[in-house]
Amino acid sequence: MNLRWYHFAAWGALIAAMLLMPRLVDLGLMGRGTLRTMIQACYLAMFAISWDVLSGRTGYISFGHPFLIGIGAYGTAILSKKFGVPVELSIPLAVLITMIGGLVVLLPALRIKGSYFALVTLAFMELMYQLVQVIRPDLTGGTRGLSGIKTLTRGAENGYMLAVSLMLAVALGCWLLMRTRFGTALWALGQNEEAVSGSGLSTIRLKAMAFLVSAFVAGLAGAFLVHYNGSLAPRAMFDINSVFTIIVAALIGGAGTILGPVLGAFFLTFLLEWLRPFLPGAERFLVYGAVALVLYMYQPKGIYAIIEGGLKRLWGRA
Amino acid sequence: MLEIQGLSAFYGRAQALFDVSLRAEKGEIIAVIGANGAGKSTLFDSVLGLTKTTGAVRLEGQDLTGQGSSEIVRRGVGYAPERFNLFPYMTVRDNLLVGAYTARGDIETNLEMVHALFPRLAERAGQETSTQSGGERQMVSLGRALMGSPRLLLVDEPTIGLAPKVCDEIAVVLRRLRDEFGLTVVIAEQNANFALSLASRVYVLESGRITAEGTAESLAKDEALAAAYFGH
Repeated sequence: MNLRWYHFAAWGALIAAMLLMPRLVDLGLMGRGTLRTMIQACYLAMFAISWDVLSGRTGYISFGHPFLIGIGAYGTAILSKKFGVPVELSIPLAVLITMIGGLVVLLPALRIKGSYFALVTLAFMELMYQLVQVIRPDLTGGTRGLSGIKTLTRGAENGYMLAVSLMLAVALGCWLLMRTRFGTALWALGQNEEAVSGSGLSTIRLKAMAFLVSAFVAGLAGAFLVHYNGSLAPRAMFDINSVFTIIVAALIGGAGTILGPVLGAFFLTFLLEWLRPFLPGAERFLVYGAVALVLYMYQPKGIYAIIEGGLKRLWGRA
Repeated sequence: MLEIQGLSAFYGRAQALFDVSLRAEKGEIIAVIGANGAGKSTLFDSVLGLTKTTGAVRLEGQDLTGQGSSEIVRRGVGYAPERFNLFPYMTVRDNLLVGAYTARGDIETNLEMVHALFPRLAERAGQETSTQSGGERQMVSLGRALMGSPRLLLVDEPTIGLAPKVCDEIAVVLRRLRDEFGLTVVIAEQNANFALSLASRVYVLESGRITAEGTAESLAKDEALAAAYFGH
């Protein structure tokens, strides 16, 4: 696993800083609204981590992550609202359904490569979007979606503490997992699949494992998000924009790094929020696209690599 | 050790190998020579179960056909593909470690053995392979195959595009693997001189068929070899 003291230091500092954010609100240094924006960023960060574990590592680009998020979100929403299952049970069940359901549907897709895989995942998202509207609308709420879903927290601070704890746990868990031999094998898979099987590894099993981890995180974050928002709408959930936001967060943050997608998610969420007063309409996305493009051209390995490079230079001088 | 009988390989409806038979004894280096597209890589892929085949492939009497490639590697087949098949954005050390998932013994012991065979890899352990020279990459490819503690080593075109001096270094290592570690080695080559200087026996592969076989001495004088090598 090869952990060094600075790994512990960096994670400790990150966790402490994130958990102390609400205190900034107490001190009047930060608005409560900022905390709410950070909640959104935390969930986006988890989606981006989920995407990164599968696509950022193995190179199998998923355009259908809302498909997985949607299973988790709909799963717990329907179980808790329509069947009265307590949330403590409905969330783990929803995560399990995401992993099994996702695996059954998407595993065959992992046998195809490149852009074809991306297209199939995109098709699955669209399929799910159509299906939740027509099949048993009494359960899924049809085109209108579901509202009045039990919320887990009250107030910005509690919501933030839950979201940030989840996000940090997911990030740390995935980061540790990616530092094992399993993580190395996934990284290798993205660079040369034939050579991985030539080294005696079952690529199908590796991909399935990566997929399960990705589905676990997507389902978990999707389920908790729905219990934070208290509602879900199919149009917003299975929107191509949400796919791009997830992918862009992972890419400009730094694909294949776990912490990169977290940085990317916070950067994107706050960029969009800060642009809102000046550009209330869709023009915001033009600016955000331009910023993403410039960042990507400057350092294709993302914000993570920019920070890493900066730290190394500082270290070198000191 | 390795016995291939009546092996045919297919890519969809196209047939790439026709009724290929060959054998390698324990502790022997044999070579398969042929031009581009003759089927050398397909032959190795077929041994590893990466293509659709008919016929038999046996390792120490055990049938390998129908086994998954991970199982075949686990049974002791090491594969050093052409050196373009590394993981370019991983360090030398990580590249080697990916080869160690099926290691029978201690991974550190294997790493030391590879470093002893290729001291250059120990010096360059932290370097990304995308920034290495062709010869170094070839060493990484061989090293990665050795990390899984193989008994049979398949080496695909180890000299392609390399300087003669580097070819000599590779040849020295392959001989050491045979003499010191008792490995059985099968080399696929276009470089007929290199193959003849190393192998005790040579098979000539032409358009998916074995067209000649024999000891290195007998084939060195054979015109069929020249014909296959120049590929007409």
